[in-house]
Amino acid sequence: MSSPTLTATQAPAHGQRRQWVQKYSTLVVLVLMFLGFSLFVDRFMTVFNLTNILQQIAILTIVGTGLTFGFAAREIDLSVGYTVGLAGILVPLLLVGGTPLPLALLAGLAAGLVVGLVNGLLVTRVGIPSLIATLAMGSILFGVNFLATGGRAIYGGLPDSYLFLGQGRLWGIPVLAFFMAASVIVGWFVMERTIFGRYVYAVGGNQKAAELSGVRVTFYRTAALVIVSVFAVVAGTLLAARLGSGQPNVGERYLLDGLATVFIGMTMFRPGTATVLGTFCGALFIGVINNGLNLIGMDTYIQNIVKGVIILIAVAIVSRTTKLKLL
Amino acid sequence: MRVQLENLVMDFPGSRALDHVSADFGFDEVHGLIGENGAGKSTLVNILGGSLAPTAGTVSIGGKPVTCRTPRDALEQGIAHVSQEGSLVPGLTGAENILLGEEPRRAGVISRRDLMARAQALLTEWFPQVRIALDRPVEDLDIADRKVIEIVRGLRGDIRLLILDEPTATLQSREKAQLWDIIRSLPGRGVGVVLISHFLSEIRALSDRITVLRDGVHVATLPADSATEGALVDLMLRRTGSGAGLGMRRDIPHPGAPVLSVRDWQAGGVQVPDFTLRAGEIVGLIGLTGAGHFGFARSLYTQAGLVGGRMQVGATDVTDRGPRAMQRHGIGFVPDNRMTYALSGEGSIVENLSMVHPECAKILPGGILSRRRETQEGARIFDLLGIRASGQGQQVKTLSGGNKQKVSLGKWLYGAAGRYRAMIFVEPTEGVDIGAKQEIYGHIRKLAAEGAGIIVASSDLLEIEHLAHRVVPFVAGQAGNDIAAAEFSEARFIAAMAGETTQ
Repeated sequence: MSSPTLTATQAPAHGQRRQWVQKYSTLVVLVLMFLGFSLFVDRFMTVFNLTNILQQIAILTIVGTGLTFGFAAREIDLSVGYTVGLAGILVPLLLVGGTPLPLALLAGLAAGLVVGLVNGLLVTRVGIPSLIATLAMGSILFGVNFLATGGRAIYGGLPDSYLFLGQGRLWGIPVLAFFMAASVIVGWFVMERTIFGRYVYAVGGNQKAAELSGVRVTFYRTAALVIVSVFAVVAGTLLAARLGSGQPNVGERYLLDGLATVFIGMTMFRPGTATVLGTFCGALFIGVINNGLNLIGMDTYIQNIVKGVIILIAVAIVSRTTKLKLL
Repeated sequence: MRVQLENLVMDFPGSRALDHVSADFGFDEVHGLIGENGAGKSTLVNILGGSLAPTAGTVSIGGKPVTCRTPRDALEQGIAHVSQEGSLVPGLTGAENILLGEEPRRAGVISRRDLMARAQALLTEWFPQVRIALDRPVEDLDIADRKVIEIVRGLRGDIRLLILDEPTATLQSREKAQLWDIIRSLPGRGVGVVLISHFLSEIRALSDRITVLRDGVHVATLPADSATEGALVDLMLRRTGSGAGLGMRRDIPHPGAPVLSVRDWQAGGVQVPDFTLRAGEIVGLIGLTGAGHFGFARSLYTQAGLVGGRMQVGATDVTDRGPRAMQRHGIGFVPDNRMTYALSGEGSIVENLSMVHPECAKILPGGILSRRRETQEGARIFDLLGIRASGQGQQVKTLSGGNKQKVSLGKWLYGAAGRYRAMIFVEPTEGVDIGAKQEIYGHIRKLAAEGAGIIVASSDLLEIEHLAHRVVPFVAGQAGNDIAAAEFSEARFIAAMAGETTQ
């Protein structure tokens, strides 16, 4: 940077070390975990398993990237899991009913737009805090999902072109991984390299200051919530393709895991701030833990406990020095 | 009987608020306490009222040393403190507020009837001529009645000394007279009063003796009838070396065409019939707390609470409202309380700088930014304002007050290229050290010299004296007559802020 540099560069070395610890400790833990599994778990470091991890975290990453926009604007979306579920049954339902694939996909996107817009308007126009508005929206979607399916899975008659999105490979790489890469790149670019991203961060950083700076706060808060839902329906569409069926209750776990990726991501790069790359690392983090513990043959319930403890440790390191302001 | 303070010292981190202050307050007098903002008045009465523990020194009553570590300790010694800001609990009735914490109980349950009766008895005991509906929630009462309720609450129990901090600041003249009578009557009933007020006429009219503080030091204690207002002002003010290093400016430019003017402006309790800001001039707005000078300055940009009025920018009528519209018309706003209203502490310097005009680094449609251009423009602002940081990526919350304020100002220079014809500043140097202050003054003067009209609303009278070309004093929501640069003095400002028209 070309700037006059005087006082802060002379900060004591331990201050810089602490900053470095803040920024990269989670990343170091991730790398150590990766190395550990590679050394001690036979089947971990194989092309098959690594692509498998990508496939496993792809959908989570897409949900997390969307949530990152919400957190950047300091809005949370607790309905995200049910929005995943909504698309995961709407698109298969339409396909089974004979709707052409492009139309069905568009319908899924439209559903995401509507959910996000309703969330956004409830928050910005009616003035309900997003925590509460989206909690209620989640409950509504949960009901809708079960009503629409009668609680049963939708399968059979799904076109191969659709299933390919979730199960196929191109040059040996899962198609899902391409979707994941696209969502991370687009998300990163929008957040870091556009005026839109600047304004979303400004609104989340200090809403009052953004408003007095002439930022259309209402628009950017709404837009952030719409983006969360749109990423969620993309994830839900791909999830059903991967599973080969539309199931009303598979989206739910993406709420907690999705939030976890964002929280882990907030411990790195710019501590306290949700970033797309941070969230991606958070998803990798969760993917590696799940995969490694699976290969060891650890019981899934114990896996959840281990995952929870690791998340707490990662966040604790950062929280000691930075306030993680979530909402 | 009297309360005696001996050699009180109060140190706060980085500053000494009281420096060996000795004074005494009788139970049979109204004792005025005056001094500028920051002179130590509040610290002194907070120690007296038990809210602060002094670093050194003693408080004694009737010759016996006492230690008051909490307001409750002070109350037990017979000292009550009615603070400046309303301390009533909204939602509770007047009676409930009077007896807050001492509600009469029957079998452990608060008895509403006893409560009402006791509160009414207290009110009648002290102020037989005052009628207040004590069964109404306090927010329904008018402001003078609320003040009386606060005073009655202070007087419950065995009180010998009552501290009143700016009791009439928010009152109209009729209500003021009523409260004056009440204050005057207290010494005759065995309750001494320590009275803090910015209104020197009030201090002189009510007090038996007056104590003057300046910069944490006891300057004088004198009988009220021996002191003229002029003499009191002389005692309050720093008379030597006050302008040192601030770059005093006395030349008056030839103001250009009007850049911003309002007629019949009514916003949030402030009324300004006619105000015009011209190119190249710096207009200072001053007033006591709540007088409306800050509110007026803010309302010009935000239009919050706007009831009526016409605004012109240049010669064009402005009908659209709010920050975005004002920006379009070339009006910028650097607010007070920068971490609340101007900056994102978690964000980097460049993120904050680019909050108003990120589009200056746009290279492609769709708002796609060039990181290189952002850095270039950021570096330009760094150099221009002399922001000291490790780099543009440093988080704003880690900067010093002066550098934060420079970023807050820099937001309006980044990518703006002189588009702001008028800039409004509220408390432009609060919490800023003297060096940075001088730099910020330099930038404000430069903006004016380049043709912008500047409004500075500040509670720092020295700042106004050194920066402004003319001053508009505000009293109780009304703009007073201009004070021209030739007439500038702190004494003149203080008189104008108190609504005294000394020509």
